[in-house]
Amino acid sequence: MSSESAEGSSLQRSGFVVRKERFYGRLIAACAVLTVAVTVGIILALSGQALSFWSQISPITFFTGTNWSPVIAEEYGVLPLVSGTLIVTVFSALIALPIGLAAAIYLSEYASDKARSVLKPALEILAGVPTVIYGYMALVYVTPMIDSLLPFSVQLIPAAVPVLPEFTLVMPSLGTFNALSASIVVGIMIIPMVSSISEDALSAVPDSLRQGGYGLGSTKFDVSTKIVVPSATSGIVASYVLAISRAIGETMAVTMAMGMSPQMPYFPNVLRNLAESSQTITAAMVQIAGADSLGTGPTYEAMFALGITLFAITLTMNAFAELVRRRFREEY
Amino acid sequence: MATEDTAGDQLGRNAALRFEQLKGRLFEAALIAATLVGIVSLLVLFAQISIDAFQPRSASPTWFLVYLGTLVTPTAGFTLYARRRPAVRETNALAFAAVFGGLLLSSVIYVVVESLSPYDVFIYTAFAASPPVLVSVYDRATDERQYTGPAIPASIVAGIAAAALLYDSIKQPIGVAAEWIMYFGLVTVPAALVVAWLTTSRRDSRAGAVAGGAVVAGGLAVAAASIATGANTSLFVVFFSAFVVPTGYVLRRSIRRDPAGRVGVAGPFVLVGGALLGAAVVERFGVQNPETFLTPTLLLQSWDGLRAGNAGVYPQIVGSIVIVGFMAVLAFPVGIGAAVYLEEYAPDTGIRGRLATLLEVNISNLAGVPSVVYGLLGLALFRRTLGLGTGVVVSAAGTLGLLILPIVIVSTQEALRSVPNALRQGSYGMGASRWQTLREVVLPEAIPGTLTGTILALARAIGETAPLVIIAVATTKYSPPSGLFSSATALPLQIFAASANAKPEFRHGVVPAAAVVLLILMLLMNATAIVIRNKYARDN
Repeated sequence: MSSESAEGSSLQRSGFVVRKERFYGRLIAACAVLTVAVTVGIILALSGQALSFWSQISPITFFTGTNWSPVIAEEYGVLPLVSGTLIVTVFSALIALPIGLAAAIYLSEYASDKARSVLKPALEILAGVPTVIYGYMALVYVTPMIDSLLPFSVQLIPAAVPVLPEFTLVMPSLGTFNALSASIVVGIMIIPMVSSISEDALSAVPDSLRQGGYGLGSTKFDVSTKIVVPSATSGIVASYVLAISRAIGETMAVTMAMGMSPQMPYFPNVLRNLAESSQTITAAMVQIAGADSLGTGPTYEAMFALGITLFAITLTMNAFAELVRRRFREEY
Repeated sequence: MATEDTAGDQLGRNAALRFEQLKGRLFEAALIAATLVGIVSLLVLFAQISIDAFQPRSASPTWFLVYLGTLVTPTAGFTLYARRRPAVRETNALAFAAVFGGLLLSSVIYVVVESLSPYDVFIYTAFAASPPVLVSVYDRATDERQYTGPAIPASIVAGIAAAALLYDSIKQPIGVAAEWIMYFGLVTVPAALVVAWLTTSRRDSRAGAVAGGAVVAGGLAVAAASIATGANTSLFVVFFSAFVVPTGYVLRRSIRRDPAGRVGVAGPFVLVGGALLGAAVVERFGVQNPETFLTPTLLLQSWDGLRAGNAGVYPQIVGSIVIVGFMAVLAFPVGIGAAVYLEEYAPDTGIRGRLATLLEVNISNLAGVPSVVYGLLGLALFRRTLGLGTGVVVSAAGTLGLLILPIVIVSTQEALRSVPNALRQGSYGMGASRWQTLREVVLPEAIPGTLTGTILALARAIGETAPLVIIAVATTKYSPPSGLFSSATALPLQIFAASANAKPEFRHGVVPAAAVVLLILMLLMNATAIVIRNKYARDN
């Protein structure tokens, strides 16, 4: 600022000021480049240890093994963990995806401004509550609450039908640690992820489409479900993928509520999977980190192998969501 | 036409219409139910956790009646009164912010400085703060401003380095002084300077000097009084400087400036007075108090896994605050810098434009990386590569800092994007350089938005558990961290560890109480962010 007065008529900034400007620009660019360094750091940190792990235990054994027992039996088959993660992901998605989409439709199409200004921040709080508190609530409050309604059994094919074998879906009473309560809290936690991104997509649908629908005599129900939602499909799918990826990476709630016993899925009575303890990929990492034998050995490195698996899954899903959003977006 | 319609036709059409209407109504009701189901179930769970923490059933009905009379009714009445009058409401909000913000600020300062040792904090703060002050005084005196910008951060770094070098020889003479003098230098002197500066900018330098002098004199008087009565001098000095002084300043100013809203000042005092009065009545008439688990013991003692009455989370609370505070120091400048680069510096086209797009994609991907993976990064970076000890403050703060970096960047970018371009053009038109425009025009405009985003990032970080578990931060410790390289623990970790304790007085008592403390910390931060956002939205 003072340089102008010192220079007098010259419009040229003094050499020092130019250098100062350039220095600040570089400093700020360095901050931005640091974010790439974080990604590179994650990949290097994970792959270094994971490769060392896979040189001792072959990736085939790792990805196809059906027994995960790193501390006791030193068996490293990841499938039980994948199954645990899938159970939580599928059931939390069953809860969160319809509810989140319905909330998004309500907020974008039906709610008054006042209702929206209250409900939107309230929904955001669902995602802001620390996951450790969700885990505690699932363990201490949700499980007993649901357990008081159980057990129940539904006969899908009654015994009276002569040809087919009798088939009954049985929901046994819940264990202390169970996948059901974990799925419920994870579902609650990812609702805002679906609702806020979907709502953005729904609000971006231009009003002229809605007016066109009304002009043709459609009801609000028809306009919402047959015009607005289909037009926003790409955004809705992206929000679904992001929410599922968040559920896959969720750690504390599933560790606390679902326990630490890796389990291959029960079939055909799938409901039994919900009632019993299982272990997710993330929970297995927490268990290894919590064990004292830290620092070296295949168990410690297995944590990184799990980490890179998780990282690869979530990264792929996030990239896919971004792709869907860009590629299939309807331009108006 | 109408005559041709038979009655049956009309009936059929009406029925179809009614069916459509019914379908629409049911759909809307289902949507409302879906929107509310998550919120309601969370509220139910919160209610259960608070009932476990407070144990309201153990109190006698009289207890509720007493507090209904002294606390709830007056506060509700006052709030209703204030809601109708905008001026009163504004002053009321300001008074609440000043009183409770001051209380919180002074407790945090005292607790954190006490655990880190007031002498060390004083030495480092003095060495870090004096050089930039000297530089800006020199720049004012000589009007030589060219070097001021780069000189200030450089002098801060040099000051800290000098403090680290000279630490051993300084600690000896300073360690002789009483502890409260350190707090006086740390809190009272800056408070006096701020009050003096504010008064000077509003009135004149003489009034400023008087106001600053009054604060210093008041601080000395409080110190003298508490030494004479044998009370905790340091605590009283901090409370005077960080609670009484700002509250007094804000209240005095709003009473003077805003006669219509004057009554609003009473808001916080109705609340606090009601609580105190209720406590006095309960004490006097021996009413049965609830056997709550949210006790001073919980807030001021360390953990006891065997007896619930002795269990406290003081080291965990201090650890959380220190970790998150240091994380803010590490992550916010970098995050804001990266956002500024992407919004203000990066070109749209060419190789560097493509680089900027790559950076954006990378940041949105980082935001989706699960927090456990950041824990592994922290483990590899701080423990293996840098060789830091297990669970020290620096590595915990660094790990969380990497985790919230994308959140800070994205929210700052949004704040910068909302600054109108005309302001930038105007600044360039006046001959300002890019950096000058940024510093004098863009960043000040973007402060509220940035602040909102960063506070939300802090709220996220304080509840984050998984990365801390992965980098093996201790779950239970019996003393707060004594420095940046000493090991610390955090509140959510204690909740995680104690969730395995199946004793009923823990499972339905102490642990929910600790969870309530964590939730209150988090909700306070969220509320602050929302208040800033709303105020900013209204001002525009």
